[in-house]
Amino acid sequence: MGSLYGALSIATGALEADQGAAEITSNNIANVNTPGYSREQVNLSENAPVQVGNLLFGDGVSLQPTTSIRDNLLQQQIDQENQSAGQLSAFLGPMNQVQTLFNETSGSGLQAPLTAFFNSFTQLSGNPSDSSLRQSVITAGQNLATAFQQDASSLESLQSNTDLGVQQTVSQINTLTSQIAALNVQVTSLISAGQDGGALEDQRSQLVQQLSGLINVSQADAGNGGITLTTSGGAALVVGGQSFALSTQVNPSTTFHDVYSQGADITSTITSGTLGGQLQVRDQEIPSILTKLNTLAYNLATSVNTQSEAGFDANGKAGVAFFTAPTSLASAASSISVAISDPDLVAASSDGTAGSNGNAQALANLQNQTIVDGQTPADYYSGLIFQIGNDVSQANSEQTSVGLVQQQLQDQQGAVSSVSLDEEAVNLIQFQGAYEASANVVSTVNSLLTTLIDMMYETT
Amino acid sequence: MSIRVDPNIAPDLLSALNLDQQQQNTALEQLSTGQAVNQLSDNPAAAADVVFTHIESSQDDQYLQNISDLTSQLQTADSTLSSVTTAVNQAISLGVEGANGNLTASDQQAIASQVTGVLNQVLSLANQTYNGVYLFAGTNSTTQPFVLDSTQPDGVLYNGNDAVNSIDISNGNSIAINVPGSQLFTNPSGDLIGSLNALVTALQTNGDVGTAVTNLQTAFSEFSTQRVFYSNALQQLSSTQTFLNSDKTQAASQENALIGADMAAAATNLSQSTTAVNALLSATNQILSTLNLLDYLR
Repeated sequence: MGSLYGALSIATGALEADQGAAEITSNNIANVNTPGYSREQVNLSENAPVQVGNLLFGDGVSLQPTTSIRDNLLQQQIDQENQSAGQLSAFLGPMNQVQTLFNETSGSGLQAPLTAFFNSFTQLSGNPSDSSLRQSVITAGQNLATAFQQDASSLESLQSNTDLGVQQTVSQINTLTSQIAALNVQVTSLISAGQDGGALEDQRSQLVQQLSGLINVSQADAGNGGITLTTSGGAALVVGGQSFALSTQVNPSTTFHDVYSQGADITSTITSGTLGGQLQVRDQEIPSILTKLNTLAYNLATSVNTQSEAGFDANGKAGVAFFTAPTSLASAASSISVAISDPDLVAASSDGTAGSNGNAQALANLQNQTIVDGQTPADYYSGLIFQIGNDVSQANSEQTSVGLVQQQLQDQQGAVSSVSLDEEAVNLIQFQGAYEASANVVSTVNSLLTTLIDMMYETT
Repeated sequence: MSIRVDPNIAPDLLSALNLDQQQQNTALEQLSTGQAVNQLSDNPAAAADVVFTHIESSQDDQYLQNISDLTSQLQTADSTLSSVTTAVNQAISLGVEGANGNLTASDQQAIASQVTGVLNQVLSLANQTYNGVYLFAGTNSTTQPFVLDSTQPDGVLYNGNDAVNSIDISNGNSIAINVPGSQLFTNPSGDLIGSLNALVTALQTNGDVGTAVTNLQTAFSEFSTQRVFYSNALQQLSSTQTFLNSDKTQAASQENALIGADMAAAATNLSQSTTAVNALLSATNQILSTLNLLDYLR
């Protein structure tokens, strides 16, 4: 048989539950714009019934721990796309500067000084004994050398800036992994205690999302809400409450910083995220462009020198090298310079007389000869232009498609986890109604009790 | 239960706005530069090809400049040789007059001194310079080629050489630009200066003037044959000049085809994307200021 006090206690429990539910709703509304916030769901459950004699009486409602609504699989897909996005944007930053350096569509680049250099020989061939034309050959050669040097030094400084970026990225990664490890411990202890990870899990997945923009991360469930993070090459980043910091060390052969994890060089296994993009620019893209630039400078200098030495100068003496002989292929572009300053030393003559233009002709004709890796200088250079343009263009279109996928995934995640103010308003109305009803129950029970007490009063 | 949609649409609106503004910027850039390809990555193949059209038009400019310099040089040479022709014709008439047996010794001496004048004139024409360069010295063109020298069999010493300079006047097309003085003036098949010298001697010594005149005529016809080179070369220069000018136009139009912008399309794109941006902005304003249910809780 039920009792008035039972009803009163059920109503009190309901009031508390509805208050709690309103609080959760309020928290959801408060976090409507918080990045990474997953909406929390109110969990109400029916209390275990009380048996009185043969009868079962319900014992009201109680508020259970909230559930944060999130889709971990979706989150991992977002992290995955973040890795590509991070890599592409780290790649495109410096590469956009590289393509500006060689922007032939606006006339900057090596084509103009290169053509001007050969043209100066063509012009000299028209009047080989004119010393002002001889001087302009030297000037054109110096302009060409300066252009090579500037391009090489711009590329090298981009490369060393990117190396600085590598070190900064590694330190950001280390900050993030240590924060994730700390949160990992807290989340695990909450989950073990039967609670919802809630806000802490939100924070952790925000940090993992940031981390995945920096390096290729693989995530594994370690049970009890804990996660294990490794690079996709297998180097541990976070295991339980412990984070493993990456470090950098100068590689003496490249003079750039390699990335180490617990003593092992993992540079080559880092292929995505900002760090992956930076390494790609520093170790592959710029070196490949520099090699081509050096090959061009080296072969050009060597061929011009050989042809110069085959001719005669204005005084009928055997020709001397026009460019300072490059010491090595690797430094050809940065060290190329004109070796002669006396216009008379330009070897325009092919027979030793001052009026002969045969060698100037031959020097001008080098531009049509396959002197650079089996190609003419223009063909070779044009190939380099295509390579740079193509690499940037590919990265651009990948970036666009990754951006679309990211947006799609964010929308999906928003559909799952974002707070909807309409939904919260409906919930609030529901909880308000339930609260009012329970309050009325209390008031009714109160009046029933008053009736009962009044009855007793009348009896006495 | 109905499908839940993402209640937060601000990021989508922003990225759509971003996309439209990018299109707007692209159209503006195309309109302001006149180029559809402004970065290598806009069209890598066109950017690589434009290297060649730039080289071509720059080479054409250089060839045209060479041709213009060369044209005045060859014209100087040609008109010099034309003066030689006039002078030698005069010497031949004088020689024919001198061959007349009825002349007195003093008349012959007078003719001899007139022919000597012609000889000196021819000699100075043979030593003609252009921009400080001797035109008829082969490639040894910084030294005066012809000097009178009585120890030589024909009375003149040639200091030049037999070499010929060639110049590229368009890509892969070169022409010779001089005839060595030895071919023009002291050619073994007809030695112009030598036969002038011989005519002077014959007149002065009352020798065989008739033979000397015949020899001079032979030498003159050899000279005239050699001389044709210059007018041929000038003709070739002029036709190459025409070719280069049209090649330059060709290169420019090719460059335009490669990287030029379709201005009409760019203008249309600009107005389309501007309309899109405006529409999106006003849509964004409406959507973001739409009331939600909470506004109705009173």
